[in-house]
Amino acid sequence: MLDYLLSVATLVTIYSIVSLALNVRWGWAGLFDFFVYALVAIGAYVYGVVTLPPAPSNQYGDQYILGLHLPFVAGVAIAMVVTSVISLIVGAVALRQLRQLYFGIMTFSSVLIIAVIIMAAPWLFNGIIGLYGVEAPLSQLGLDPTTYALLFLGICLLALTLVYLLLERLFWSPFGLCLRSIRDDEVAAAGFGRNPYSERLKAYVIGGAIAGLAGALLITYLTTWGPGAWSPIETILIFTAIILGGTGNNRGVIIGTVVVFGLIGEGSRYLPILPGFPDAYAALRIIAIAILTIVVLRWRPQGLLPEPHMRDGVRRARRFRWFGKEA
Amino acid sequence: MTVLLHSVGFGLVTAAIVALASVAFSLQFSVTTTPNFAHGDFLTVGAYAALVGQHLTNSLPVAVLSAVVAGSACALILNLGFIQPFLRAGAKRLSIFLVTVSFGLILQNGILLLAGGEPLSYNLTTPSFQNVGPFQWTYLDEGILATALVVLVLLHVTLRYTRFGKAMRAVSDNPSLARASGINTPRIVTVTWALDGAIAGYAGCVLAASLGSMTPTMGYGFLVVIFAAAVIGGLGKPYGTLIGALMIGVAMEVSAAYIDSEFKTSIAFALLIIALLVRPRGVISAEIFNLAE
Repeated sequence: MLDYLLSVATLVTIYSIVSLALNVRWGWAGLFDFFVYALVAIGAYVYGVVTLPPAPSNQYGDQYILGLHLPFVAGVAIAMVVTSVISLIVGAVALRQLRQLYFGIMTFSSVLIIAVIIMAAPWLFNGIIGLYGVEAPLSQLGLDPTTYALLFLGICLLALTLVYLLLERLFWSPFGLCLRSIRDDEVAAAGFGRNPYSERLKAYVIGGAIAGLAGALLITYLTTWGPGAWSPIETILIFTAIILGGTGNNRGVIIGTVVVFGLIGEGSRYLPILPGFPDAYAALRIIAIAILTIVVLRWRPQGLLPEPHMRDGVRRARRFRWFGKEA
Repeated sequence: MTVLLHSVGFGLVTAAIVALASVAFSLQFSVTTTPNFAHGDFLTVGAYAALVGQHLTNSLPVAVLSAVVAGSACALILNLGFIQPFLRAGAKRLSIFLVTVSFGLILQNGILLLAGGEPLSYNLTTPSFQNVGPFQWTYLDEGILATALVVLVLLHVTLRYTRFGKAMRAVSDNPSLARASGINTPRIVTVTWALDGAIAGYAGCVLAASLGSMTPTMGYGFLVVIFAAAVIGGLGKPYGTLIGALMIGVAMEVSAAYIDSEFKTSIAFALLIIALLVRPRGVISAEIFNLAE
């Protein structure tokens, strides 16, 4: 039971990081972005190939690029750099001329293209089989599984805390304020001398780096990663988590993730099994989440914890002064 | 040469299916200005409804009719039950995108719940190929081409030569002006949704018949092809979309004849991305393709 709770807590922590990444893009910059989950996947693949030893020549014909056998921290850093660069390229192209619906269609299609490329080019990330046997960091300590699970949860929580503090700082910074003003009225913000394109691009890249971090943690925890592990559907769940918790509000987003992935996702496992309906779990879980999205959007569009206004923020901005410049 | 001609022939059949699905999407978008991410799932609903119809009565017209009715019903539920209340509450456009995504997920997983994830197929006699001019089609392909042509011509006649079509074009051009001129705008929007769902339902059942089997994610996967055709033709321009569908359909099948057919849909994605980057307002931007003159 303790092992199970630890595993749920670890996954929810990692998904919270993904939600925070999408929140920068969707909540602050107002970008209808489906690409975030592809970045999580790319982060996971990149972490895999830089930390795994070179591809063995075994009877399964496993193959993948690099195989540098680097340590955990280097793997995470490289994964974040790669996803940032990919975000920069996709964002630079897509943000220049596409808005709202077109942006949504573009990112939606890009995810499917990435999936097709990974399947069709097995030399890249081992195609349909995917990567497996990723080493757990600090495994040389020789801890027993439960203690190790606790340690890994600690690492994930540390990552989440760092991301949260960084984003909370960014939220109250002039950059965060500028981003939200562009979201709410692009023309007015441009009139005050802001460049909507470059500010949005910055948000897009920040979101990409955080998604890469989440991807690296996810593959480390699961130890395997393949096309079956991710699908565009997951992005919708992340959207639901953000909307439920409070679009734009970092704390709300984490609460939303706990509810969507922890309570609904895990809770649906305890439903009685209906004979003759083998897919009932998965289907009911998605239906419940979809209904929840619609209900929240209809009756509480601001979510559980609404996005704070600047006037609420003076006190909080002071609290974050120790991070850098005077607020 | 024969390979090329045959694949163009298959391309025309694919194009006919894509055209049905994407013209309906484009027409609905141009009149109601709400993009519908659940459109692909209307196709799935149509396919499964036709399967139920065939099982119950074993007659083809009933099967097709149940696809049309089911698709239409879904579209009406989405419009009256979800989109209109959201619009009345003054919801943001981005929220409405997500509502249609969620509605699509409910349909898709409802089908998964009731029918299971295993591929199902219609009870059709095994089609045999006939040579028609330079092309090679089965009776199924010929039926799909003929009915798609009939549906699209009927749609054209409705849009151009009837009072209702004129009202639709007026609403698409300028909703408030249309309302001021005494057009019952909400009614036109509702009927457009019903029409969209009906065509989508039919497109779903011919898609499933043409593919040979159906799964709950069939329409969802097809959505990108629909988007590609609609964006290449210019979103909200049904006539341009028709040409976009033709390009996509033929490009997909011709490429499948020469490179791995696994890349078939990626060809559609690639065309979509090129179109989005080069001409986001549509490759075919001539004024004659606009819905309103």
